[in-house]
Amino acid sequence: MSDEGIGVILVNRLSGLSDKYPFVDFVDGGTGGMNLLYLFEGREKAVIIDCANMEEEPGQIKKFSPDEIKSVKQLAHQSLHEQDLLKIIEIAKQLDQCPEEIVIFGIQPKDIELDQTLSSELTQKIDDYLSLICAELN
Amino acid sequence: MSKNLNIHVEHVTRVEGHGNILVNAKDGKVEKVQWQVPEAPRFFEAMVRGRSYEDIQTIVSRICGICSITHSLASTKAVENALGLEVSEQADKVRVLMHYSEQLQSHVLHVGYLAAPDFFGAPSVVPLVAKAKDVVLAVIRLHRLANEWSDLIAGRTTHPVTLIPGGLTKTPTEKQFRELQEKLKNSMADLTAVAEAVLSVAGNIPDFTRKTEYVSLKQDTPPTYTFYHGDITSDQYDGTVKINDWKTVANEYVNDQSTAKWTKWHMDSYAVGALARFNNNAELLCDPAKGVAKLFGLEKGNCNPFMNTVAQIVESVHVVQESIKLIDELLTKGLKTETVKSSPKAGKASGCVEAPRGILFHEYEFDKNGNCVAADICIPTNQNHANIQKDFEKFVPEIIDEGEDAVRLKLEMLVRSYDPCISCSTHMLDVQFV
Repeated sequence: MSDEGIGVILVNRLSGLSDKYPFVDFVDGGTGGMNLLYLFEGREKAVIIDCANMEEEPGQIKKFSPDEIKSVKQLAHQSLHEQDLLKIIEIAKQLDQCPEEIVIFGIQPKDIELDQTLSSELTQKIDDYLSLICAELN
Repeated sequence: MSKNLNIHVEHVTRVEGHGNILVNAKDGKVEKVQWQVPEAPRFFEAMVRGRSYEDIQTIVSRICGICSITHSLASTKAVENALGLEVSEQADKVRVLMHYSEQLQSHVLHVGYLAAPDFFGAPSVVPLVAKAKDVVLAVIRLHRLANEWSDLIAGRTTHPVTLIPGGLTKTPTEKQFRELQEKLKNSMADLTAVAEAVLSVAGNIPDFTRKTEYVSLKQDTPPTYTFYHGDITSDQYDGTVKINDWKTVANEYVNDQSTAKWTKWHMDSYAVGALARFNNNAELLCDPAKGVAKLFGLEKGNCNPFMNTVAQIVESVHVVQESIKLIDELLTKGLKTETVKSSPKAGKASGCVEAPRGILFHEYEFDKNGNCVAADICIPTNQNHANIQKDFEKFVPEIIDEGEDAVRLKLEMLVRSYDPCISCSTHMLDVQFV
């Protein structure tokens, strides 16, 4: 889905830096949001990277915390395919399994149509995204 | 209580499209009740055309982020059947282990996060944490186990990478299998805790039955509670149908109220999933699983769709126990390094496995170069849609006196009990700054 895949692309690139960040696990969280619950367990910090509609210019990256946003997603609770990241974080807190710090990097897409490649707006900024994320890991 | 109902539940962002519930009743008479599923096309059957037989499972595993191993297995079996490829006994057993991991993963997620809140009277798992924290923690531990199990054998949790036509690219070591086996043995405490928690609120499971045809795999040689081998059967049919003839079972057809196709066999609809497997094969469960079924009073012939969730708990115990035995079998015989080779040829065949939510069919045709020229995939949730509709038609008149809110909740619970997996949507965060 074109720019929707930016999170996966970045985590794959970051995985190549695992020697530089031995205390970091780079994980493709997939679409099963409940996976995050056990991935959070025992962690001090979580950095989440995803395509995000923030009504910004395409390609814009923004860093924020869960407290700075609210969920606009309505859940019907009928399928495991529907998840809300903020609810997952809330559950993790209630279970005393939430990292002390959660940082979210949202990247505004240009295009989320059926396509295997990113838009040029995002492609040309990949190195910038990686620099910002690595600064967070440092 | 008013006997006029006007319920229109429209679900947004859930699964890939909408699953709508429509009920109109006046003066106690049901005028209209519909389960509407506007399933948008996914185009997988078109996407694989022109692709090599070696690429098929990689592509179709993307149909679902929860049942990806199942789609990979069904498609790989279809490719192997079409090209006449044999699989070694070792690879076959390792694949069954891989498949069991996904059954556990999917079942505990459904039971813990979707069905349990209903039984505990919670609107979602979020408030359930306050009511039953220890149970939620047990579910999370079981989920972790199932995912680590998938990682070990499939190469990763979602979208397996070790499956290839003819076998596997990699098999775990003896040490890894023993470690997994130990974790499986230790997981029984958590499985028991989840079963007991659901049992404590089993009185909240709606009491509803409707004569239903249940379709699943059946394996006679050797007799097995099967998810992987066998032919197609139902509780209305004395005998089995070969996998390649699956279309004579599904009989898919289009109807006006849904873009999703419906299916039927000996009755107007049929059900697939854990309850279907139980109703066709319960006597072949391992003893601990039978014990769990007995606790809940679940017996062969049960026609309450809400008991599908209980059947999932029973199956979770079964797959864990069977996996412990299967690892012993593999290691007693000794693991071998296997080289897999295949070459293209023309052929057409089907592959079938039981997804956690029911029987799944994949069919492919290849040209002499091994490129796909046609594909047909029939997923379990599609096969349940007509049955959900029929359930609605019987259920609504029975509960119409309970008022709009209660009717709405019970119909939603009914849909949830089928553990629907219409399709998996990719998504992005939708963010609003406060």
